[in-house]
Amino acid sequence: MTAPGGIARPTGFLLLVLGLGLRLDSSWQGAAWLLILAGGAVAAAGLWTLGRAGLDAEPFVPRRAGE
Amino acid sequence: MPPACRPGTAAVAAAVVAVAVALALRGYHRTVVAPAPDAPDAPLLGPRVRAWYRGVLTPFEDLLVAWHVSADHLTYAQLVVSVLAGGAFAAGWIFVAGWLTILAGTLDILDGGVARRSASAGPRGALIDSVVDRWAEFATFLGLGAFFRASWLLLPVALAAFASLMVSYTRARAEGLGIPMTAGRAQRPERYVLLGFGAWVSDLVAHLACPVVGHATHVVLGTAVLLLAALSTWTALGRTLSAARTLANGGLR
Repeated sequence: MTAPGGIARPTGFLLLVLGLGLRLDSSWQGAAWLLILAGGAVAAAGLWTLGRAGLDAEPFVPRRAGE
Repeated sequence: MPPACRPGTAAVAAAVVAVAVALALRGYHRTVVAPAPDAPDAPLLGPRVRAWYRGVLTPFEDLLVAWHVSADHLTYAQLVVSVLAGGAFAAGWIFVAGWLTILAGTLDILDGGVARRSASAGPRGALIDSVVDRWAEFATFLGLGAFFRASWLLLPVALAAFASLMVSYTRARAEGLGIPMTAGRAQRPERYVLLGFGAWVSDLVAHLACPVVGHATHVVLGTAVLLLAALSTWTALGRTLSAARTLANGGLR
């Protein structure tokens, strides 16, 4: 079983970090802000889902991942 | 033309990465794997880290299988992303290059997982995956070399590229002679992590230190490249010696 928000958090984090990377190094500032806002919203939704389930709910990843 | 110093954005990016690392550590500590004996030449990323990351990717694998995305598609996507990573390195977009390197490594893991889940794993896929992996690594190193073209670090980049290919070649040659060869400190996941996170940290440090130093400096990325070259060379030589020793002891089937 996967933790609540198990897809939203990594996806949001990836989008957010890509946006921040573009903001840091490129001249694509429009795309950077779009990714930062979209990634931030998705990651926040994932964290909200996890928070509502309680910190002692399912872990961030399956307990016996890879077994 | 790359923009100037952005210490504020770098601080926000560092905070985001710190939160992600904290959540990752939480998951890591809750991941249980079967105990394995400590080997001196075991990969730097242990079974628990690998199991944790596979766990993170499990819902994505489910989604990709449900969407009928084939393992081959993911393999080719990895090649495209690696070429983009090389381009980003060459253009000096170091943070983005690190992101793309980590994405390429993730796609490399996902293609195997999807192949197993969709029961499409076979010799043809294994061949394409191995060959594409080598091209993908070369593309990334080519871009890294372009970034360091005016520096003495170009030599360690060339050594890292060659040694990385030799790590895989030695394994392929040894296994072709019937010798199993899975050990080695710096295998592909370790190389992805070292280069990807090295690029992230390097760009963050460059932007944070920029107002003080007066210009962006990529000392951390240079250090990561040196480490990568040393570890890959060590792994390739170690595998060669191990295979030669096995053959000398009559290990050939």
